[in-house]
Amino acid sequence: MGEALLSWPDGNDRVPYWIYTDQGNYERELEKIFYGPVWNYVGLECEIPNSGDFKRTQIGDQSIIVVRDAEGGVNALVNRCAHRGVKLCEQDKGSFSEIMCPYHQWTYDLKGNLQGVPFHRGVKGNGGMPADFSMADNGLDVLKVHVRNGGIFATMSDETPSFESCMGERILGYYDRELDGRTLSLLGHSRQRIGANWKLMLENIKDTHHASLLHVFFVTFGLFRVDNDSRVEMDDTGLHTALSSIRGKQELNDGTAQMRSFDSDLALNDPNLLDVVREFPGDETVVMQTLWPNVILQQQSNTLATRQIVPKGPNAFELHWTFFGYEDDDEEMTARRLRQANLMGPAGLVSMDDGQILERTQEGILAHPDEQGVVELGGRDTDDADHMVTEVALRAFYKGYRKVMGL
Amino acid sequence: MTISPELRSEIEYLVNCYALAIDDGELERWPEFFASDCLYKIIAKENFDSGLPLGLLLCDSQGMLQDRMEAFSKLNVFGPRSWRHMLGAVHATGSEAEIVARTSFVIFETLAGKDTHILCAGEYRDIIIREDGMLKFRERLCVYDTTMIPNSIVRPI
Repeated sequence: MGEALLSWPDGNDRVPYWIYTDQGNYERELEKIFYGPVWNYVGLECEIPNSGDFKRTQIGDQSIIVVRDAEGGVNALVNRCAHRGVKLCEQDKGSFSEIMCPYHQWTYDLKGNLQGVPFHRGVKGNGGMPADFSMADNGLDVLKVHVRNGGIFATMSDETPSFESCMGERILGYYDRELDGRTLSLLGHSRQRIGANWKLMLENIKDTHHASLLHVFFVTFGLFRVDNDSRVEMDDTGLHTALSSIRGKQELNDGTAQMRSFDSDLALNDPNLLDVVREFPGDETVVMQTLWPNVILQQQSNTLATRQIVPKGPNAFELHWTFFGYEDDDEEMTARRLRQANLMGPAGLVSMDDGQILERTQEGILAHPDEQGVVELGGRDTDDADHMVTEVALRAFYKGYRKVMGL
Repeated sequence: MTISPELRSEIEYLVNCYALAIDDGELERWPEFFASDCLYKIIAKENFDSGLPLGLLLCDSQGMLQDRMEAFSKLNVFGPRSWRHMLGAVHATGSEAEIVARTSFVIFETLAGKDTHILCAGEYRDIIIREDGMLKFRERLCVYDTTMIPNSIVRPI
């Protein structure tokens, strides 16, 4: 690809298509973003409640073990033996008291310290490690970890500012609204692979107005629609966004009249699906947060979930969903959350449409790296908005992205 | 308890007709395969094995089956495709009053203009009862092994 292509058009209201398809750009993203000074989401504490519990996850292309040690601390370790590079852990989750490589049985504790090397002192006077071999210098690569109210984040860079200063006060306010310090209870996972660039997933959540057009289900039942009272708020970098909205009615108005997908006659045979109860302070019924660089923290009615985005080259990503509730939920609330989970995930009444449309986007742009997308709805600025009829969060996002990528 | 050969072939007929109805795109027939009091759930093996309740899709009433069927048929947005359920032999135990059946499945999905791929592999774990003279699913758990669903599941499985 010629150098000329890898430049950005003037202004914030156009997005060049090569950023979704170029392999070189993807590799620079791994270095500058995922392996750079950011806090990557790696899981929830309720996935590893007890000492020895672990889960395997990914940051960029790297496999990571997230494990709770004997003292109750959470560690993130690169899943690669310090000896010959063997992938240590193959299970997605489980429990262990130490980590042993099956190849030559190098053994590590749950903080990643090397504990044992067979034949260290040799056998019958033969072989063994040199006298100056340092156990301390040959542990696993350990990431810095930050836990906030049950959410676990890790960073590979020593330069990363504190989690709090990376998020900013305003985004933290929304974060703490959902992860409010109560112990979380794990409801389960679902995982899907979508043939589209990872940034399109973040955009999909930042793009508020598509929900009013693509998602008939949302539109009809007013769960998320442009005529709802809404706010789009960014942090100072523009990379994090919080969208919040208050559920509207199933009525014809100047907003719904412009949506071909609005159906005023649609009614549920079993209204239990939308038996929503208010559980958070404030009137918001939806808060969708995109936390840079790799997670969506969401509340839609009473369904709560994280969506971890795992990039797989420029043309695909995996979406790892974790649904949760709170330890103090009663049976009825858990049943409600599980029923409302029908909206989300790979067969979600709503999010099914997104998986499909993102792949179509990638297919549409694949052969046109030198073209660009239009993001002018709601103007050309990057300021917060008190409505949803805007692409401002996309403009702000790419302003921040360009700065991180040096574009 | 043993299952008579006649009952066994009736169970196989139910399991087969269900898959054919979906592959043939006759989604409006889908709720008919279930008892009036029913549970349908698509669940990842990782959740099933860990005792986690989350389903990829959950219907716990005839009304919810109807709503899902209508969403799949009219509301959701997805490209044209063919589905092919490949079923293993039905393993049935229990009694006439409550049959417990397990059947392996693989679903091949072919999107317009693309190669055929495996959408998911897994097993049905069914509880079948007789209602108004017909065998019906009182409970159908679709436990899928597939780690990563290729994009979405746009029909019942």
